[in-house]
Amino acid sequence: MSSTVAEEIQRELIQTRDLGVTEEGERLIELQIGPTHPGSGHMRIRVWVDGDIIVRCDPDIGFVFRTIEKLSENRIYMKAIPLVERPSLLDTTPMTIGYINALEKLLGLEPPPRAKYLRTILAEITRIASHLYGIGILAIFLGHSTGFMWGFGDREPFIELANQLSGARITYAYVVPGGVRRDMPQGFPDNAEKALRYLENRLEDWYRIFINNPVIERRLREVGVLRKNDAVRLGITGPNLRGSGIDYDVRVAEPYEAYEELNFMIPVAEEGDAYARTIVRFEEIKQSINIIRDALRKMPSGDIIHPQIARMFNPLMKKIYEETRRVKFPGLFASLKPPKGEATARVEAGRGETLFYIVSDGSPKPYRFRWTTPSYRNAILFKYLIPGHRLADLPAIYGSLDYFPPEADR
Amino acid sequence: MPEPILALLKELLGYNEFLYRTIIGIGYMIIYPGLLLVVVVAALLLWAERKIAALVQLRYGPLWISRRIGGALQGFADLIRFSFQEVIIPRRSDLVPFLLSPGLALLFSLLPLAFIPIAPALRPPIYSDLALLIAIAIISLSPIFIVLMGWASDNKFAFIGSLREALLVVSYEIPLIISLLSMGVIYGSLDFYKIVERQNMLPGMILNPFAFIASFIAILRITSRFPFEISEAETEVVAGPYTEYSGLMFGLSMGLAYIKLYMYSLIVSLVFLGGWLPIQGNGSVAGFLIPSLVVLLKLSIVSLVAVFLRAIYGRYRLDQAIRVGWIYIFTISIASLIWSIALVYGGWVRWS
Amino acid sequence: MASQPQAGAQASQSRSQLAKALEEILPYVSSALKGVASKVETDKKSSAIVLEVERDKILEAAKTLYTLGFDHVKSLTGVDYPDRGVIELVIHIGSYRRGLRRVMAILRANLDRKNPRAPSLVGIWPSTEFQEREAWEMFGIVFEGHPDLRRLLLPEEFEGLWPGRKDFEIPGRKAGEIEEPWK
Repeated sequence: MSSTVAEEIQRELIQTRDLGVTEEGERLIELQIGPTHPGSGHMRIRVWVDGDIIVRCDPDIGFVFRTIEKLSENRIYMKAIPLVERPSLLDTTPMTIGYINALEKLLGLEPPPRAKYLRTILAEITRIASHLYGIGILAIFLGHSTGFMWGFGDREPFIELANQLSGARITYAYVVPGGVRRDMPQGFPDNAEKALRYLENRLEDWYRIFINNPVIERRLREVGVLRKNDAVRLGITGPNLRGSGIDYDVRVAEPYEAYEELNFMIPVAEEGDAYARTIVRFEEIKQSINIIRDALRKMPSGDIIHPQIARMFNPLMKKIYEETRRVKFPGLFASLKPPKGEATARVEAGRGETLFYIVSDGSPKPYRFRWTTPSYRNAILFKYLIPGHRLADLPAIYGSLDYFPPEADR
Repeated sequence: MPEPILALLKELLGYNEFLYRTIIGIGYMIIYPGLLLVVVVAALLLWAERKIAALVQLRYGPLWISRRIGGALQGFADLIRFSFQEVIIPRRSDLVPFLLSPGLALLFSLLPLAFIPIAPALRPPIYSDLALLIAIAIISLSPIFIVLMGWASDNKFAFIGSLREALLVVSYEIPLIISLLSMGVIYGSLDFYKIVERQNMLPGMILNPFAFIASFIAILRITSRFPFEISEAETEVVAGPYTEYSGLMFGLSMGLAYIKLYMYSLIVSLVFLGGWLPIQGNGSVAGFLIPSLVVLLKLSIVSLVAVFLRAIYGRYRLDQAIRVGWIYIFTISIASLIWSIALVYGGWVRWS
Repeated sequence: MASQPQAGAQASQSRSQLAKALEEILPYVSSALKGVASKVETDKKSSAIVLEVERDKILEAAKTLYTLGFDHVKSLTGVDYPDRGVIELVIHIGSYRRGLRRVMAILRANLDRKNPRAPSLVGIWPSTEFQEREAWEMFGIVFEGHPDLRRLLLPEEFEGLWPGRKDFEIPGRKAGEIEEPWK
């Protein structure tokens, strides 16, 4: 439905509500699209529905609140690395990169170039996996089971690739202060090329069955239109912002890791509807493929861990490092005491911009660990974007926002 | 038409037509081509839907039960599982409609079997020369009970689901009835035997393609096949009118759609695809068994096409589906009526 | 239609350019906030301009930052300093405008720990609506003028107050204790 019709309906409903006619039970129905609903994820959405039009929407988040911030403030710095990966289970690497960037700013360390490239490659692999997951969830919310299954099936080569690089399939704990934990195995560039070529072939099938599917187009076009100034005002981030016409990407705005030296573009769409956001995600997958190819080509050789840390290896650790290029953690990591101060780091995760703010008081545990995730910042769209649409548009908008409740609740 | 089976029985066991007709009628309705065949075909259709979707979606589909035939007994296993599951009845639901509506919906979906023939050599238990009209009329009663299911459950989502079903039934039954009756205009009769006989030059699909398109799409909606799976849209209204049902009632509700699909495919294959032609035999084997298998084959083709669309389409929104129904399908069905009238009164179609 | 991707900016800014940008922006921000902020300085490693304001000047500083071009808030939180008797409100503000994207503004204000109150910034930056709810439920900071101040992440039956503060008792663990499993 076009936005002017939605505004008109909304104005009329507000008028009738002020006349006292639309009380709950009289005309509005309150629906709890609660945690045990197939179309709600790990959150509760309370909607007030007048006929088929949603009048008010109140997101009730916090069902998967795991207090990562408070947990990290009571543990040493190294223990926060796996903690930070767990909430945003789909793109884990940008979260660890952000945390370690903030920590390295406090410590004054800068990782060697090869480590930066390795971090970049893993971050882009997780970005592809995260976008495919987001598109799969959008597909199943619209009833398109093929898109759902393909989304998960096409992630598999990339998860295997990450497995070869880091030893784990989804939660890698690959990034450590000063560098990375393992080096690229033999044959990794060839496997990566195979996976990328597989995905490029699959993307053509995706276009035929999902993007150019007339039913999907009807469901997604003109639905959930996010205007440019609304997106800026509400602080929206990620592909949702880029689908509304603003080409903001932290990889370009404040480059980190190896992004300064790589060639890539930022896809931007102008309409701001759900279809535009989905197209932006597909184009970002293509750009990530380019980034991985570029990074593999330009990969420098050298250390994967900062020499200051390598100096603290005992002889056994040094032998393992030289033979197998795997970093065993020195005792320093257990009692890491950054100097007093504070640092802020931001990275571009799959869903948008993540911010870490760490305050250190010289003790082995952080004094304040603040972490803002992209889904947390996008949660406000439930309140402002959904009213005025029909009830059946709620899953379509929800899926197109790629909102991941555990990431928002942390 | 000759009745070789009846003649055989009379010869062997004496002359008591009423008894034989009753026994044959009961066998017809319950065993073949009645309830048992319908249940078997519906269960196999369930399996076929999941298997076809799985093959498109890079996965196996049902596999572990009866592995050697690709998991084909999955539907029967589900039926057995549903029979043993606990039936949970919500306390504040309206008890009598809640318990009776699935059964009644199923009843009205199965009753047309008494009117629809499946072979030239055996008459259906209730033979009438208005069989097409009666079959459509009875099967159109079943959506009322689906709406009643949603009302009787004390659940807002069921209520919304049954509202959707009510809106969509009105939008899509009307084009279906118009298209099928326009085929009656072309054939000059509502009797299935005459309808099949008169397709020996051209099948109904080619005589009136508008009617075929309109009825096929309307059937997709009425049996909740994608892209019209709206009243039971899982991510919007949990399971629509069927939300509060569990155990055997849930199995009945889920099977209802497949049984309706069987029934409508049977009508479509008789009216549009030529029924049991080109087999026109006499005698009990060539006159009954083989034509019925031909009809079953054509029925399966129609059902498999309808079921295959799950792998391709998402689902429409409610207002979009209603718009498609009233703007496109309704006009196509009116066009089919005008086409049939033009064919008959223009003299291109003449029956002796 | 227009769903074709457009070429965005190439990632080609180096660190020295970033540092230079901060130095260029600093005088504008300082002069705009003269009399409002008690301290304005740059934090090069976080690429941010840090301001410290008094509690009653928060709203004015926020309005000035908005007119300078900082148009959304990335993070709003509190930091608890029980030994100093303050809760520090720390707001990270960013901008989507082309020239200001690489710079953040960090606004800091000290609030009295016994009764932390601050003006709500929802009127200036609507992006703070959910963040202020979280800051309230974690630290007890009351935002005056917030349209809908209620719990965001904690469950309704949660007992206890202000879990973000340092003196919140985690069952089974004493406040201030850290884990050292290798001992």
